[in-house]
Amino acid sequence: MHDTHYRFEKSGQTLMQRLFEAPAAGKMSPASKVVAYTLLIVWSTIVLFPIYWVVITSFKDPAAVNQGPFYIPFVDFQPTLDAWRTQFTEDPHCNIPAIGRQFGLLAYNSVAFVLSPFFSITPMEPQICKIYLAFTNSVVISVFSTFLCVVVGSMAAYALARIQYAPKFGNIMMFVLLLIGVIYVTTYFKVAWWASSAVALSMFFFLVRALGRHYKMTLKNGDILFWIISQRILPPIVVVIPIYVMFQAVKLLDTHLALILLYAVANMPIVVWLMHDFFANLPIELEESAQLDGASRIGIFREIVMPLTRPGLAATTLLILVLSWNEYLFAVFLATVKVQTMPIMVAAKNTGEKGIFWWEMCALIVVMIIPVIVMAILLTRFISKGVLLGAVKG
Amino acid sequence: MSDYSQKASVRFENVEKSFGTVQVLKNFELEVEPGEFVVLLGASGSGKTTALRILSGLETPSAGRVFIEGQDVTNMLPKYRNISMVFQSYALYPHKTVAENIGFPLKMRKLPKQDIESATIDAAKQVQLDGLLERYPRELSGGQRQRVALARAIIRRPSVFLMDEPLSNLDAKLRGHMRAELKHMQQSMGITTIYVTHDQIEAMTLAHRVAILEKGVLQQLATPAQIYNDPENLFVAQFIGSPPMNVVHGRLEESEFVTQGVRIHTQVQGQIESAVMGIRPEDCAVAPPSEGTLIGRIYTNELIGDHTLVTVDWGGDQISVKASKDFTGQQGDEIGLVIPSDRLFVFDKSTGARVR
Repeated sequence: MHDTHYRFEKSGQTLMQRLFEAPAAGKMSPASKVVAYTLLIVWSTIVLFPIYWVVITSFKDPAAVNQGPFYIPFVDFQPTLDAWRTQFTEDPHCNIPAIGRQFGLLAYNSVAFVLSPFFSITPMEPQICKIYLAFTNSVVISVFSTFLCVVVGSMAAYALARIQYAPKFGNIMMFVLLLIGVIYVTTYFKVAWWASSAVALSMFFFLVRALGRHYKMTLKNGDILFWIISQRILPPIVVVIPIYVMFQAVKLLDTHLALILLYAVANMPIVVWLMHDFFANLPIELEESAQLDGASRIGIFREIVMPLTRPGLAATTLLILVLSWNEYLFAVFLATVKVQTMPIMVAAKNTGEKGIFWWEMCALIVVMIIPVIVMAILLTRFISKGVLLGAVKG
Repeated sequence: MSDYSQKASVRFENVEKSFGTVQVLKNFELEVEPGEFVVLLGASGSGKTTALRILSGLETPSAGRVFIEGQDVTNMLPKYRNISMVFQSYALYPHKTVAENIGFPLKMRKLPKQDIESATIDAAKQVQLDGLLERYPRELSGGQRQRVALARAIIRRPSVFLMDEPLSNLDAKLRGHMRAELKHMQQSMGITTIYVTHDQIEAMTLAHRVAILEKGVLQQLATPAQIYNDPENLFVAQFIGSPPMNVVHGRLEESEFVTQGVRIHTQVQGQIESAVMGIRPEDCAVAPPSEGTLIGRIYTNELIGDHTLVTVDWGGDQISVKASKDFTGQQGDEIGLVIPSDRLFVFDKSTGARVR
């Protein structure tokens, strides 16, 4: 220890630097090595223990759970597959044809939804075992909502990073007032919503042409960005009832589409903020240079912008995927029967009068975390540092 | 690679550009001959880069028109203009190898792969980059990056070649070397080139003609020699030359410039109450006090190597003179200055215009 101490003194570092800037592992003295590795092992244990606990609990029977903390399978307690069996094999619908039917149902119901304004098609009712239903629901909803959210959100972020908008504040106020007018006449005078909207929209364009240039106050991109992030300020519980009523009005309750749209909208501000930062940090000369080199807008996006922001896009996608995969509050209100997601299944294991079925809950949680881990491993390959090195200057 | 048949002329016609309330380019007129090397020279904020960006299509002018080869391109997208540009920051694509960077313009034109490859190798050879084609920009030195940017610009044989301070990120030694190479390349290929810089040495050495801009206004467009020997106005006179031209304030009476009680004979005629006399440091000479046109005291002298730069204090005005390297005057010594009337410029102080 004396040696390292001396070396630190020589390099003239302050106390704080000495405490927090470790030399390379190979240069550490044996004693500090022991300390460092002990700390790392302790911390890893703290992080990994809950996952270990969930996994072993899923192999316990009710007695092993209730009679006390047992830590090591085959030593402390005898593992059993009971919890997994009740979830999967004991359900009469849980076999390969049933899973196939579930995919058929998804395709059929999607087509039925698209055609619903023109024909009346009765959607297929799911008969599959609950766990498969919930799992496919979760996959479909989180994948589609993440895709929608990331695509739309990053385009918005790119636009905000590259184009200077200056909407007139007065025009926005006119739009809001007309919107209130539409709601008012639709609710109290029973005017058809499409008629009032059409009138309001044409009035809006007329007023913008007529009055727009007289307004002075404009919003800047920063204001628009703040407005977007401000959508996350309200706690979701506050808006869930109005959202329920609105989805009821358009007859979308308990559909995949409702949750896909809702998650996409709810997570949009996060995507816009994260991606805006990545796009804004991209040197604009690269895009200008590509423009002169003969690339089209799409070509620039595909050849220059996308490859350079891929790490950010991967990180954002992973974050949004996890957020919508784990979402509970909206799902519990809007997905009552057919589109129940995994978090609802997990929560349902807290049965109230019979207590919590920890062993079954843990089996479901194991099923739930595996895809997330797989996705994280797949996406971290794209999350690498230093991609912009060498772009500009020396 | 030297058969650049498509040399194009370039013409700016009354081009104006404002950003908000700031007018960065005022009534800008410029005509560039096919194959000519024109340098836009000015301090930062003079509008030179804006002019270049308007020609490239990255900016649209607020008023006026731009022509390439007689064709009005004012509202044409950059990709259809057949121009290439070297950016100050080089703007290399960091995720592409050197070869991919150089070949990118051809890839965007959907040329066959073999053609792109052979053209890439040709262009790389021309800038001595062969052997580095598989590297990434981050693995290159500043000078090599500069060459990649050049190769990418020449590979598709543009009709106009634009450069926005391409050498300013290089160190002094490399800059001189690249300057010579640029000049050689432009001469041998004969592409019409417009080059933006704030460095007067680059402008003087590279250009066929130099356009000097100040506050969005074109001050003078002429060959480097004319710019130096026959400046149009006071700004140009003071901008070019190192050390800059000496200026003395006074008034012009008939053909004599009067200041501090001294009458200096000039070759111009006029009656200007507030005038400025300019003389280049190498055009005046030191002399014994009795023989000088005017008499001052040595403020300081600096031996540069091939000459001595003598700064003379003359009643508060400081005048620099290039004297012989053997000059031995001491600080505070009285000294005479010979000012030849044929090397003397007179400007109207209020307008800055040259009095001829």
